[in-house]
Amino acid sequence: MIRTELKRGTAELAILSILEQQPLHGYEISRRIEQDSAGALRFTLAALYPLLYRMENRGWVRGAWGTSDNGRRRRCYKLLPRGRKMLAPLRAEWADLFRAMCCVAKVNHA
Amino acid sequence: MLDWLAYVNERLDRLSLPESESLQVREELAAHLEDNYLSLRAQGLSESEAVRLTCEQVSSWQELRRDILAAKSEAFMRNRVSQLWIPGLITLFGSAALLAIFEIVGLRPLVLHPGDPSSLVLYFPWLFSLPLFGALGAYLSLRARAKGLAVYCAGAFPVLIMAAALLAVFLVALVLDRHGSLRIVTSAFAAAILNWILLPGFFLLLGDLLLHLATKRRTASN
Repeated sequence: MIRTELKRGTAELAILSILEQQPLHGYEISRRIEQDSAGALRFTLAALYPLLYRMENRGWVRGAWGTSDNGRRRRCYKLLPRGRKMLAPLRAEWADLFRAMCCVAKVNHA
Repeated sequence: MLDWLAYVNERLDRLSLPESESLQVREELAAHLEDNYLSLRAQGLSESEAVRLTCEQVSSWQELRRDILAAKSEAFMRNRVSQLWIPGLITLFGSAALLAIFEIVGLRPLVLHPGDPSSLVLYFPWLFSLPLFGALGAYLSLRARAKGLAVYCAGAFPVLIMAAALLAVFLVALVLDRHGSLRIVTSAFAAAILNWILLPGFFLLLGDLLLHLATKRRTASN
């Protein structure tokens, strides 16, 4: 349970942070997360879309169909004010957890 | 190139969502797979290798179907609670509390044929208060962004609950009282429908309707 919640919280923070910069469609979101984390974080389709739909239902993001740069029909996700509001507490929560784990596991953060 | 939409359709054909929503989900997933495939091809991978790696995006379609439905139904359940159950229960308890208060202060209903179980019972003060409760239920439901039938159901919630309770009582009475008169049970049931469902239902829906008209007029004037 904790593991699932932790993973979901991390994934939500990653998606919201990426969408804070600009609206993107699903594949671009996964690609940007992979790029920005230097390949450490990878979102498969199976992990990404249930999460996006859940966030959309909560009013954090909104998906709308449009045409991508290469002329293909894609559903683009945009960060909504409610999602933006979630970013700060999620970031703080993650920073606290990270700090606590560093202390417990005696990890020296470079 | 593989037809990714057909590929997804084959694996997610039994997605129990409204057809338009299901189609959108399948189209979106297919688009993701197509982008992934094209990206791999652009990196110089062979077609078969790109297809193989793209297909690995989903290890279990059954699990994906379950996760998508769970994500979608979370919203459905939350909406159902805020758009129907909460406004409906407030309407139900509010109208029931007022009826109890009227009883306590001694306001008695007008019974057309006292002693007859099939008599018409007119609780005028309570009936005239019901449009307010109907409007309250509809208002709370509209505020939670409900549309159509859900708004009417929230306003008329007390009579829906009463109808379900009466039906259960009627069925139990029929089963338990096999030697009793079916005519008496049926006439009492018909009177109960009129007294506790049709008449209150009319007044509740009147409030519901008036609120709808007021909301429409306000929207039009804005």
